[in-house]
Amino acid sequence: MEAFLDYAWLVPVLPLLSAALIARFGKLLPGGGSEIGIAAVGASLVISLGIAWHTFMQGSPEPFERSLEWSPLGGGFIFELGMLVDGLTAMMFVLVGVVSLMVHIYSREYMHGEERFTYFYAMLSLFTFSMLLLVIANNTLQAVIGWELVGLCSYLLIGFYWEEKSNQDAANKAFLTTKFGDVGLIVGVIVLSAGMFELTDTPFNIGQTIDAAVGGQLSETTIVLGMLLIFLGCVSKSGQMPLHVWLPDAMAGPTPVSALIHAATMVTAGIFLLARLFPVVAQSATVMAVIAVVGVITLFFGGLLALVQDDIKKVLAYSTVSQLGYMMAAIGVGGYTAAIFHLFTHGFFKALLFLGSGSLIHAVHSNNMSDMGGMRKAMPWTYVTFVIGSLALAGFPLTAGFFSKDEILIAGEIWAGYGFATGNLVYYVGLAAAFVTTFYMARAVFLIFFGENRSHHAPHESGAQMVAPLVVLAVLSIASGYLFSPFSGDERNFEQWTATPVIEEGVFPFVDAGTALGTGTVASAPVVLAAAGDGSILHGPPKWHPDLLAIVLVLFGAAVALAWRLYGRQFPRPDPTSQMGVFTRVLDNKYGFDEAGYRFVVVPVRDHLSRWATWSSNVVIDGMVAGTGRSVRSLAEATYRVVDQKVIDGSVNGAAFSAAWWSERLKRMQTGDVQRYLGALVAGVIVLVLAIVAASGN
Amino acid sequence: MDPASAGWALTVALFLPLLGAGILTIMPARLDREIRLAAVGITAVSFALVSLIALGFDYGDSGRLQFTTDVGWISAIDARYSIGIDGISLPLFFLTYLLTLLCAIYTTKILPSPGKPKAFLSLMLMLQTGMAGTFVAFDLILFFIFWELVLVPMFFMIGMWGGPRRDYASVKFFLYTLFGSVFMLVAFLAIYFQAGATTWNIQELSALAPFGSATFQTWAFLGIFLGFAIKVPMWPFHTWLPDAHTEAPTVGSVLLAGVLLKMGTYGFVRIALPILPEGAVRFAPLIGVLAVIGIVYGSLCCLAQTDVKRLIAFSSVGHMGFVMLGIAAMNEAGIQAALFGNIAHGVITGMLFFLAGSLHERYHTREIAEIGGGLLIKLPRYGVLLTFVAVASLGLPGLAGFWGEFTAMWAAISPGAGLMASYEGLYLTLVIFAAIGTVLTAGYFLWMLQRVNLGRPLEKWADEPLDDVMAIEWVSWTPLLLLILALGIFPRLIFGVQDAAVSQIIGFLGG
Repeated sequence: MEAFLDYAWLVPVLPLLSAALIARFGKLLPGGGSEIGIAAVGASLVISLGIAWHTFMQGSPEPFERSLEWSPLGGGFIFELGMLVDGLTAMMFVLVGVVSLMVHIYSREYMHGEERFTYFYAMLSLFTFSMLLLVIANNTLQAVIGWELVGLCSYLLIGFYWEEKSNQDAANKAFLTTKFGDVGLIVGVIVLSAGMFELTDTPFNIGQTIDAAVGGQLSETTIVLGMLLIFLGCVSKSGQMPLHVWLPDAMAGPTPVSALIHAATMVTAGIFLLARLFPVVAQSATVMAVIAVVGVITLFFGGLLALVQDDIKKVLAYSTVSQLGYMMAAIGVGGYTAAIFHLFTHGFFKALLFLGSGSLIHAVHSNNMSDMGGMRKAMPWTYVTFVIGSLALAGFPLTAGFFSKDEILIAGEIWAGYGFATGNLVYYVGLAAAFVTTFYMARAVFLIFFGENRSHHAPHESGAQMVAPLVVLAVLSIASGYLFSPFSGDERNFEQWTATPVIEEGVFPFVDAGTALGTGTVASAPVVLAAAGDGSILHGPPKWHPDLLAIVLVLFGAAVALAWRLYGRQFPRPDPTSQMGVFTRVLDNKYGFDEAGYRFVVVPVRDHLSRWATWSSNVVIDGMVAGTGRSVRSLAEATYRVVDQKVIDGSVNGAAFSAAWWSERLKRMQTGDVQRYLGALVAGVIVLVLAIVAASGN
Repeated sequence: MDPASAGWALTVALFLPLLGAGILTIMPARLDREIRLAAVGITAVSFALVSLIALGFDYGDSGRLQFTTDVGWISAIDARYSIGIDGISLPLFFLTYLLTLLCAIYTTKILPSPGKPKAFLSLMLMLQTGMAGTFVAFDLILFFIFWELVLVPMFFMIGMWGGPRRDYASVKFFLYTLFGSVFMLVAFLAIYFQAGATTWNIQELSALAPFGSATFQTWAFLGIFLGFAIKVPMWPFHTWLPDAHTEAPTVGSVLLAGVLLKMGTYGFVRIALPILPEGAVRFAPLIGVLAVIGIVYGSLCCLAQTDVKRLIAFSSVGHMGFVMLGIAAMNEAGIQAALFGNIAHGVITGMLFFLAGSLHERYHTREIAEIGGGLLIKLPRYGVLLTFVAVASLGLPGLAGFWGEFTAMWAAISPGAGLMASYEGLYLTLVIFAAIGTVLTAGYFLWMLQRVNLGRPLEKWADEPLDDVMAIEWVSWTPLLLLILALGIFPRLIFGVQDAAVSQIIGFLGG
């Protein structure tokens, strides 16, 4: 299996080839190029699985790194094109590969008959390449490259139906909001690399940066400033508040795209990058606190927004925002494994839910749950798989989402044990948001599958190519959780898989392990004090937490019961979530973020600052130029009158080079009153040059 | 071709276009077709020769001047005919010949009113010698002659084949640039006398540097700065550019953006930095500030433009800001970035001007609102090209625009030549604002694409038969499109060639 490591570079390269081949030959093939995409992504996944198996069996493997000196950058510094393969890479490979392959297969039926079918597949492959280029990167600059390419693919796919203005706006909004975050990413990467200038000629190298950070060779300023800036990039890419505004709008793209890009993979890029740089993040309590707070705000307030949506894709989009908030919060409370484990399981069940919603939309030709109802009879496969996905999302015991979300809560608890209030925040707000999540997913399930059919179509189950991916993802939505559960082994589990030696030996330098769970901090620690920590990054194999399990079950039961009471039997009109007064208004306005962004950023820059700049350029600056021109011309004319006419009057040689002589001739070619000035200047220069010649000749 | 002994090849390549211009002028004007083909022939032969030079170039020793000729010229003033090519000159020199060839090919089919290919192409060939000369001249007087030689043909190109406001634009272009050159010339003279009045040779002067008092360095640099900054153009000396670009014929705009602006940044790197290192370091923070103002300000202006060509013209202000930011960093990475940005901007913006010209050929308007969208439906291939080049221009990684911009910001985080000690905070601020400039850049390009490319065509165009990309356009554009991709994927193509030469420049700075 080790041989697979040497070929890890093929994992991104195959989809790249696929994109090129589809673009060139796709239209000539019976499958419109989809067969190339499926073959390439499939092959790529096979290699990924080989790598995953190898790294999994090894347990916290030393990262496998290979790189090419791709280009000098000046000053002896080098840009490497490289691969860094460890458990984290392998995990992302598998996630991206599986979801991408499922989406490739699913789209054959879903996108059938689309005018731009081949283009769609080329973009899917290009996206897969970009994401994998980011994942495999052994240096931050390469990561930036993958990151930005991912953004472009997202733009192109959100705007896939570019005839409509709303879709164009959504695409622009996505690109520009994330690009704004990229200011942070790019400056952050630059700041971090500047800290490495003295240490290496490959200042972007991730492994070296981590070693330097852990070894204390990076200054605190470098780490805090660099990581906070990079975090800004992650905020926009991973839909954290307040830069999440693009993500719900991104649902304008075809549904398989929503599954692949705006739920399971691209939006996880920010989480992934922070995980990749986690040993650097872990050096600073400040950075972690900021990350945790943003994550907590996002997981709670993002989730609330799902309550008032009628569009099923919007419900799922806001749930994605909320779940990404959980992952971010986990990073901020030292839950390295918890964050990426949730990233992993969420990828499967969120892709499942999106593809399931696509299946529904395909059947009823509407995104709105108010146009659905009673679908469980007509669409049994979609129903069962969608429910499994919903249970996983809600964290129902023994689904994948249960194990991963509990890990995050436990991480919060351990963090609180170290005396950090953010740990409590994650724990309590995380539980509250779990209730919200369960409620809106139960609402969605009841509205879609129960009650009367409100659609104007006779719904039918989708074909095999759409159902099969649902089944595969449903299985994974349960099975993937067992990689890190009380049932998994102590040696061969998700934590050991995705840890590197640095992570395994890593501790939070600002945590005084001696005081952990001591009397000084118990007061602020949560009620459930089952977990223990010694200040190290890894928390060890999961255990049962009966008290937490009890709370989770109660919350789940209450939320489902409430949803059933409100939505179970029939579609209530008006929808109770639209009758919550101020609360509904606030949620309908999305807390005013979209509005504020438009009114206080877009409009001032696009309509006011831009006009002011143009005005100042045309009137003020150019006015000064014209003024200078006029004065010089007056001067030239004065010179002509006084010096030329009076002083050298009659001198033939003088006249030949005078302003008047030139301007008379130039006047014949051009009209306009600046001509004379031109002549004066040309004459001036020539006189100057002649003067030099004369002077040097002596 | 042996770079040590084949110095003649460079001279031949340099004056072949001028000779060609002479040949065209004696051809009878009625031989319209033959004249156009002759121009293609001349530029093709010149390009082939330059390709041979590029192949013969010793890349292992790219810091050394190759293909040199150094003979006496005007002995009265010690001016010599000394030319040569190194890793810094080569990419720009090559680009000059490539773009002129592509322009000649384009002109075989497309030439704006009043036609007259004979006059037009003669001027273009004259221009070519002037442009190419500035990149290989190693004598200040010779450099200045070439520098000024460029002005005249471009003046007539804009003035005769330009748009409605061509008279104003051409005179403004000419005078503004000339205004700067006067100060530059005075500074050259000051340098000459200060350095002992024995040589105008750039390399010899660089080796003598630093000379003169601090005051001398400041004033001499200021003089040179004005000359080059206007050419680049740096904010606030940029106002000639939108007018010149908007009014110039397509080929004029392509060469203006593709090569002419680069003469300014090249001048900074080749002349101002090594000969006046103390002045350069003193001015560096100011250059950095003006550069970043240019980035943000230029992008803001783009957002307000309603004319596609004027928008692209203003985008040059922003992009050249990144180039100048690289120079202001005063370290190797910064100079590398500046020179890479030079080439990338030449290729990308040259291509954008081709596209803007073709858009005008078809729609007879460049007003975004009048075109009104739907280009991807009306002219799908054209729309794809516009997207591709716009995305390259906004600095997407994997395409040429990225390396100049990213590397410039990266270099500026840690400026060289002792600037780090006193200006660390300033430069960090510059980097942040430059990065914000990239968002604005993305903003105006995406908005332009939205309004031109996307949506459905307006009623009035729906039945209008418009040609999609024509054969002649494919021929003249494909090399640029490939270069955009190749430079993005293999930045080594430029960085690698320049590396040793840039190290030398920085060596003169003592950084």
